[in-house]
Amino acid sequence: MTHQLKDGGQVLNVGMLARVEGEGGMHIEIKDRKVVSVKLNIFEPPRFYEGFLRGRKYTEPPDITARICGICPVAYQSASTEAMETICGVTTTPEIQLMRRLLYCGEWIESHALHIFMLHAPDFLGYDSVLEMAKDHADVVNMALRLKKAGNDVMELVGGRAIHPVNVKVGGFYRMPTLTELEGLVPDLERGLEDALAAVQLVATFNFPEMEQDYNYVSLRHPDWYPLERGTEIVATSGVRFPLAEVGEHIKEFHVEHSNALHASFDGEKYFVGPLARYSLNFDQLSPRCQEAALRAGLGQTCRNPFKSIIVRTVELAYAFEEALRIIDLWADGHAPSVPVAPRAGEGIGASEAPRGTIWHRYKIDSDGVILDAQIVPPTSQNQASIEADLRLAAQQWVDLDDHTLTHRCEAAIRNYDPCISCATHFLDLRIKRS
Amino acid sequence: MKAPAMVIGLGSPDRGDDAVGAAVAERVRTVVGDGVEVITREDPTALVHAWHGRHVVVLVDSMISGVAPGTVTVRRAGTHDAPLPTYAFAAAGRGGSHAFGLAGAVELSRTLGTLPEHVAIVGVESTNFGHGPMSQPVAASIDDAVAAVCAELADAGVATKGSSTKASSTKGSSTKGSEAGTCV
Repeated sequence: MTHQLKDGGQVLNVGMLARVEGEGGMHIEIKDRKVVSVKLNIFEPPRFYEGFLRGRKYTEPPDITARICGICPVAYQSASTEAMETICGVTTTPEIQLMRRLLYCGEWIESHALHIFMLHAPDFLGYDSVLEMAKDHADVVNMALRLKKAGNDVMELVGGRAIHPVNVKVGGFYRMPTLTELEGLVPDLERGLEDALAAVQLVATFNFPEMEQDYNYVSLRHPDWYPLERGTEIVATSGVRFPLAEVGEHIKEFHVEHSNALHASFDGEKYFVGPLARYSLNFDQLSPRCQEAALRAGLGQTCRNPFKSIIVRTVELAYAFEEALRIIDLWADGHAPSVPVAPRAGEGIGASEAPRGTIWHRYKIDSDGVILDAQIVPPTSQNQASIEADLRLAAQQWVDLDDHTLTHRCEAAIRNYDPCISCATHFLDLRIKRS
Repeated sequence: MKAPAMVIGLGSPDRGDDAVGAAVAERVRTVVGDGVEVITREDPTALVHAWHGRHVVVLVDSMISGVAPGTVTVRRAGTHDAPLPTYAFAAAGRGGSHAFGLAGAVELSRTLGTLPEHVAIVGVESTNFGHGPMSQPVAASIDDAVAAVCAELADAGVATKGSSTKASSTKGSSTKGSEAGTCV
């Protein structure tokens, strides 16, 4: 919607930003063809998870925090279990870690498949929704649904449930799936890998607006593999790197008036988490097959065009299928599903790479395991400042486009981040004001 | 050989009245016998492929239409039936996964050619979607909803364990028939 203001200014207003997880708003003000104000408004009331974790037992966060999001519950479960195990001085077995990674692959697959094909692809193919896209691209939508189902099946088998898994506990799992059960997933995962690799080349044929930013990418890093369920340190394109335990010294949360989701800064500056950051900081850890697919699709070893995040996300989708198959191939029955974790007073951090970017949890517990303090920092809230920076650049770069086209371009710029406003807190609606 | 008929309970078991789909499906499972496959799903997008290849599907979900809580309503949504009203799925695919509901799944399935010929949606009018148990009127309507599912199966010519029992007495059917293992 466009509003003409008395001073000659103009407001473009979109009541609800489409094709993102959750709802919220955006306000862009343009005066004399200059963008003067950009605000990502998140006005959903805070959800108080951190508050009501206090006083609960140290074993409860995997189940409680999983309820923050139906798309990325494993991200919360992984970060919270790691934090508690760190505090309690427990190291789980390599098999438990492998199974956690497999569960996380399931989450990446279902989340990435949903966003790439059903929420993001319509931007590039010129449709308002996947329902309209399906009329002309039924094969792509059918493939997307197959891929998503393959991810859901992994979640259901390993996590006990496709949405909000119930099989995860501090120390491991309640039950390990059997090799026979896991092997039942293989045909769909193999087909999914082939489909995802082909999809990398497909999405690379989309037309991408020319836009690059000098982002400070931030991601987990692990010496042995591409970061999913955990990493040993945090790295940034600025050259800063530090052990996970020091994250609170570098990343600070703060409140801004126009958002109910806390913003965050990295050494005092805005930063960017998510697939583009992971990819650009961990390209060397991708499998040779995924590296080759990425390069063949025209990506370099880093990518700074946010619209090309759809290609990177599809590379990660293929990687998740490949990893899931690798883990199942390595699996043997007979491993303990969990290790005991006795409470110990202390404070600790856990982090993982949610589909949308780095998430970290900090907990403080007493010697009885009662939670004294909790901090949950999800990716979308960390990305708010980068989203606003992209909107500022996009609106300025395309200021001469008509309002409808500019509004659409700005919405697409937000969708580049696959924002989960439900995680950040909840809501969005979009306004552009011109004068 | 045709794939067996399918009964699907849709909804989250943790979200108040949204649990009614799964609750009805589980009850139906005990009364229909092997000729009908009964599944539950939380994610509506899963329906598009889950029912592909079936001839007869009866789906149970919570519903809000403004009638009295607990009222059971049946609507047909198969390939020969009129598309669902646009308002029912306008947000599907636009509001993220949160806005992708049953109506969106039906219409996406219709577009993709996976929609079964016979689809009956058994809706149970609901009021409460917060965490916790079902509200009393909805819990009390489970028998009616089970009866409605069985009536739809019978109407589509699906033989069930107790299909010799007349399927017409849907309203006010007691749990007695279910306990006896018949599809009332």
